[in-house]
Amino acid sequence: MRRILLIVLIASGAIAQLPAQLLQLRINGLDGLASKATESADITLDSNLLQMAAGFLAGDGKDKDQAKVKDLLVNLKAITVRSYKFKEDGQYRMEDLEPIRAQLRTPGWSKIISSQSKGEMSEIYTRTDQGKIVGFAIIAAEPKELTVVAIEGSIDLKDLSKLGGLGIPSIPIPDQGKKGKQE
Amino acid sequence: MNLDDELRAALQREDPSPGFTQRVLAARMVAHAQSKPARKAAVPRLFWATAMAAMLVIGLAGLSEYRQKKAERAGHEAVLALRIAAEKLNMARDKVVRREN
Amino acid sequence: MLTQAVAANVSEAMTDDPDQFAELVREHQAMVFSMACRYLRNPALAEEIAQDVFLQLYRKLPALESPDHVLHWLRWVTAHRLIDHSRQEKRRPQSPLEDAPEPAAPSRDADPLLADMLRELVAALPENARVVMILRYQEDLDPMDIAQALDMPIATVKSHLQRSLAILRDKLSRRKGVGV
Repeated sequence: MRRILLIVLIASGAIAQLPAQLLQLRINGLDGLASKATESADITLDSNLLQMAAGFLAGDGKDKDQAKVKDLLVNLKAITVRSYKFKEDGQYRMEDLEPIRAQLRTPGWSKIISSQSKGEMSEIYTRTDQGKIVGFAIIAAEPKELTVVAIEGSIDLKDLSKLGGLGIPSIPIPDQGKKGKQE
Repeated sequence: MNLDDELRAALQREDPSPGFTQRVLAARMVAHAQSKPARKAAVPRLFWATAMAAMLVIGLAGLSEYRQKKAERAGHEAVLALRIAAEKLNMARDKVVRREN
Repeated sequence: MLTQAVAANVSEAMTDDPDQFAELVREHQAMVFSMACRYLRNPALAEEIAQDVFLQLYRKLPALESPDHVLHWLRWVTAHRLIDHSRQEKRRPQSPLEDAPEPAAPSRDADPLLADMLRELVAALPENARVVMILRYQEDLDPMDIAQALDMPIATVKSHLQRSLAILRDKLSRRKGVGV
């Protein structure tokens, strides 16, 4: 089953105001998709919220999963996620992604992975400074899912990749109805 | 004109654009990451996140409690966001690995 | 020399030492990129393919025993990757060499134009002949080495070379002022 997740994750420069600017830019391009989605995730965490999150996740240190996330958050300045899941194909166009991709073609960004097959497209971008990754972006487009993720700050992709195998959180999920947009 | 010499001159090696090595290393980091293949249904995403947001709102009392809840929500959102990122990172990486093999 | 150090233990570059792998990339990037660029006449695409080749090298390193082995492996993988790419894209039908386009008339004094002309003519050759010519004139390999690199009979390699050169001479000599 084809799914389209639009994750817009845009890593920007080191300025604290950038997450708001990114939010402004991205919402203009993708807001209309939320009304068409059966599920959507709209997450924007600036440096203040990330600090609060890290403080919460520090906890008593017993939860190793949360500890791994906290370690990743330490050097981050912003996280933005836009993720949409649709019931049917054709709810978005590739052109909708062009404003995002145009920003990722500016100097400083490098596309390190590009994969296209069977109606799916995945692109990964990084911004580096003195050999270290300081920005990271993913665009993952499938027929019924569209996901864009942007991370600003220093991040180790190996550590990030390990989170993918952690599975479903242990907190129970009550029935929330059709849409669960956050914020 | 000696065609052999002209061909050698025309086809001599040239370097790729600046930063090529860095881009290869960055792609290598992605490919080298140790993780299990991504499961498409691994992250409950929205329902879970919304449930957490709702749970955080219930019983809100006082600024300190509000701030605590805000931190908790931010924490859960951060976990969700990074797991989404990890899932998509691993999926893209796996596609590249399959393509090269 | 770095390749001497790498010869001591090629697989060490497979570890988390980015500097060592980076040196391998820097040593061979011109060769891999140029093969792709001469073949495709598309620098951006050539870089993408070159990047894929080096990622493949990264995984293959534990099995490579010497710097020569690395070099041979890179040439082999790059050549086959380019041929496969052509076939998948189907951008160039297998037209006879004689159908390769004639270059525009060059300026009498313009050697750089001649070089560009030659690159265009080579890039217009059918895929197998194209890669043979690139290995011969970019990498300066003799027919035996080319045959090994491409897993191709040596007679076929020589045939590609002879026919390709004949066509290039013919097309160049048709232009006024270009004596071959």
